[in-house]
Amino acid sequence: MIEARRITKFFSVVNAHQIAAGVTAVLSASLTIEDGQFISLVGASGCGKSTFLEILAGLQAPTDGEVYIDGKLVLEPLPSTRREMDAYREKYRFLSPIANGLIRDNPKHDIAMIFQDYAVFPWMTVQQNVLFTLELRGVPRAERAPLAQRYLQQVGLLGSEDKYPSQLSGGMRQRLALARALSVEPKIILMDEPFAAVDAITREKLQDDLLRLWQDTGRTIVMVTHDLDEALYLSDAIVVFSPLPGTIRNRLPVEVPRPRRRDSAELAELRARIQAIYHYDMHGESEYVG
Amino acid sequence: MRAVNTSPPAGHQVSRASSPHEYHARGWNLVWREVAAFTTGAFGSLVTREFLTIAVPLLLLWELLPRLGVVPKTLVPPLTTVAASAWDLVQHGHLAQHIVASLKRLAIGLSLALLLAFPLGVLMGWNPYLRKHLLPLFQLLAPIPPPAWVPITIIVLGVGWRMQTFLIFLGAFYPILFNTYQGVKDTDPRYLASARVFGASEWTLIRAVYIPHALGSVVMGIKIGIAMALVMLVIAEMYGTQIGVGRLLSESKEYFRIERMVVCMAILGALGWFLIEIMKYLEAKLALWRVGR
Ligand SMILES: Nc1ncnc2c1ncn2[C@@H]1O[C@H](COP(=O)(O)OP(=O)(O)OP(=O)(O)O)[C@@H](O)[C@H]1O
Ligand SMILES: [Mg+2]
Repeated sequence: MIEARRITKFFSVVNAHQIAAGVTAVLSASLTIEDGQFISLVGASGCGKSTFLEILAGLQAPTDGEVYIDGKLVLEPLPSTRREMDAYREKYRFLSPIANGLIRDNPKHDIAMIFQDYAVFPWMTVQQNVLFTLELRGVPRAERAPLAQRYLQQVGLLGSEDKYPSQLSGGMRQRLALARALSVEPKIILMDEPFAAVDAITREKLQDDLLRLWQDTGRTIVMVTHDLDEALYLSDAIVVFSPLPGTIRNRLPVEVPRPRRRDSAELAELRARIQAIYHYDMHGESEYVG
Repeated sequence: MRAVNTSPPAGHQVSRASSPHEYHARGWNLVWREVAAFTTGAFGSLVTREFLTIAVPLLLLWELLPRLGVVPKTLVPPLTTVAASAWDLVQHGHLAQHIVASLKRLAIGLSLALLLAFPLGVLMGWNPYLRKHLLPLFQLLAPIPPPAWVPITIIVLGVGWRMQTFLIFLGAFYPILFNTYQGVKDTDPRYLASARVFGASEWTLIRAVYIPHALGSVVMGIKIGIAMALVMLVIAEMYGTQIGVGRLLSESKEYFRIERMVVCMAILGALGWFLIEIMKYLEAKLALWRVGR
């Protein structure tokens, strides 16, 4: 279970005129995700979805609030007083709070993440990328190669093992990122706009693959997307973020039985509701009822 | 399978195996193919038609201008005189020994610099805590021009191989250090984050993310280091040795043997060119992944 309690993230930035400015990317967002759920986060561009996801993954410390995964605190929030801040700095002066330790590989939580721009390693071949995460998971050397083959086959990348990511298409890179995430057999997969760079037909295929995989393995999936239809088709619930500062505007359960049809009337109705929320947030007009 | 389109920017070609059979060549076969690939790569850019149209007229001018009396022959020895002098040095002047001695000094100085500067650069790039302790020291010391170290080095280490090694080391140290440091520090945080979610420890990050990411700038640092090491070689060999190309050069100056000076200059240039070609070749081999872009 993922529990995010009143997460706030503030970035202090210096703008081009050397004037300090601040951005509140996420403001007091609370969210509980049960095991095995498929949740989508939607919202306008730049409203803090990626930031929120990285906080869930423990890659950024929230300014305020805590994330618990299965009851375990992910990262302590940044201290608020100067005294506490000094103590925090002293404590983490050598290793940053998000480090996993000095020598031994060891994931802190059972999470895999697929980044908005995939972040597969360009200096490793497709196969080496997957072998690397298997190594981090502690799979004995002899078993890695066959396992890697299996995950690559799952995403349909067999035959491209020896290519470098720069030689792949956007969609193939995407699938490599997916294979890499699956290879660690995580309980939770966080995905940041995973299907943004592929054409509509491939996207539908990948969505169906993902859906099957989710139903077969019972993993928790949290996905950020801009594609409302994708969110509606896949998820158990859709979390709508408001524009900056990103707060959780609504959490809409999608109670349409599976298997779903992409063009079903229920989904279309939900879609209209979400769009009404968007419209209201953008223009401040109250078209939104219920 | 690995038919990568390898055309690195510097205009040299690295031919790569295309069939799996060839790719798995082992032993002498492999060595032979690597050497062949290196040679075509290194000399390929010299014997292109484009470059020859520049080089041949220049060489002809070099030969003809002094011969025709346009420039004084005593000050600018023609190409053939220089070549004859080189041949003479090979036969009677132990030229090979001079070159070997200089190469040895270079190799020791450069290796020491690499062995020390590379880990230090990685450590400073990786960890802000270490960086804050160490970087200011090097930033203060680096601007001292390496030749300015000569007098004090001679006094402290005496004239001899230790002083020569140290001076060459000093020339190569800072370029390698700062380029490694910068390359490691500039590692894209997204790659670090993506390795961290999967549980990578800091050591794994250094090994599998920081260093591969920084490789390009490390090689760049070594190239600059080689150039600086050559400068320091010439200076270092002015003192306390009877053998070495730099020594030969300053000796020729004392005896006013201009054609010998030119031979030495050509050898030093060729040494630098050759070492840098080796680095380019390694770079193309190691950073294969960049090539496809
Ligand atoms: N490291 C940072 N420093 C300063 N500001 C940041 C930083 N990261 C994000 N921001 C700001 O936080 C806000 C939210 O960014 P985020 O990347 O989370 O948006 P997003 O919802 O994922 O957008 P998109 O849908 O376009 O990917 C943006 O306004 C951005 O400018
Ligand atoms: Mg984003």
